[in-house]
Amino acid sequence: MSLILQIVFLLGDLVFLGLIFLLIKRDRLSVRFGMLWLIFGGVWLVFAAVPWLLKVLRGFFRFQVVSNLVFTMLLAFVLLVLLTLSVAASLAARRMRQLAQSNALLEERVRRLEQQLKPGCGPDGDA
Amino acid sequence: MRDNTVKTLVIIPCYNEEENILAVVRRLQDTCPEADYLVVNDCSTDRSREILSAAGCRYLDLPVNLGIGGAVQSGYRYAMENGYDVTVQMDGDGQHDPAYLAAVVAPVADGTLDMAIGSRFITHEGFQTSFMRRLGINFLSGLIRLLTGCRVRDVTSGYRACNKAMTAYFARHYAEDYPEPEAIICALTEGFKVGEVPVVMQERQGGVSSIRALSSVYYMVKVSLSLVIYRLSRSRKGGKR
Repeated sequence: MSLILQIVFLLGDLVFLGLIFLLIKRDRLSVRFGMLWLIFGGVWLVFAAVPWLLKVLRGFFRFQVVSNLVFTMLLAFVLLVLLTLSVAASLAARRMRQLAQSNALLEERVRRLEQQLKPGCGPDGDA
Repeated sequence: MRDNTVKTLVIIPCYNEEENILAVVRRLQDTCPEADYLVVNDCSTDRSREILSAAGCRYLDLPVNLGIGGAVQSGYRYAMENGYDVTVQMDGDGQHDPAYLAAVVAPVADGTLDMAIGSRFITHEGFQTSFMRRLGINFLSGLIRLLTGCRVRDVTSGYRACNKAMTAYFARHYAEDYPEPEAIICALTEGFKVGEVPVVMQERQGGVSSIRALSSVYYMVKVSLSLVIYRLSRSRKGGKR
């Protein structure tokens, strides 16, 4: 890796990490989900700072070229992010369902009580 | 239904049923005046809510569309909170005849079953659904038999009665979409007693079915997968109840 490319990668990664920090700070991204991106940024910062590590990993996993290793790692990370988002979406859907049901149950109770409080209405809401 | 002190709630899920819903409620009130009912309006985009409100019906109004599973589960939660002994599901499209309510409730009320399913495939009378749907129902019925050893013929019937324990279970766990077959396998693997009683069903009186041609494939794949995953993830609690 040329020195210029290494500097571009380092700066790009630092900008990326800064963006994640900023999003967490402004409450646009929760720490829970931001953590995965921070770990990703941290790992790539290490690889950008010490590219020799990629060559060691390439040899260890017997990849023909470093770029194959990098793309495989990126794909694995993207799949991990997608899986995490699917889990989060499923949990959010379940919570939303419980919340909507609770809201409807409370609304029905309020409606029934309001009906009972109307002048001329009996305890069962009958006129 | 309050005969013999059995407090019964009939849950009627409703999504865009402005043509049928009032007739269904009126027919239920005329046939079984002792039974309480609760219409669950699943954020209908037609005039269903206005119709229910104007007629003074008892209804839950879901703020977002949760699908049939979420709507029915709301009813189970209502039944649990209000201490009903038996909870009955009945479709809002007029397919289920309230005249069979007592027959569906009876085995649950006397403790024979935890969940009784109104089945159109025992006496084979009345509306029997299309050939393709029947094929799908038979496949799911066979799959449930393979996975649990229990035979349930009308696995997609939404006409079913549950006792308190079953109601409490469904109030906590209920599938989101196309929940009927999954509810059966959940009940069986949790050790509940499930059985069928013969009923006669009618063709829907109006409106559009939620299962259309394009979603049939999704229905079969999703439900089959759910059944297998659920069965694999839980060992059967035989004889628990």
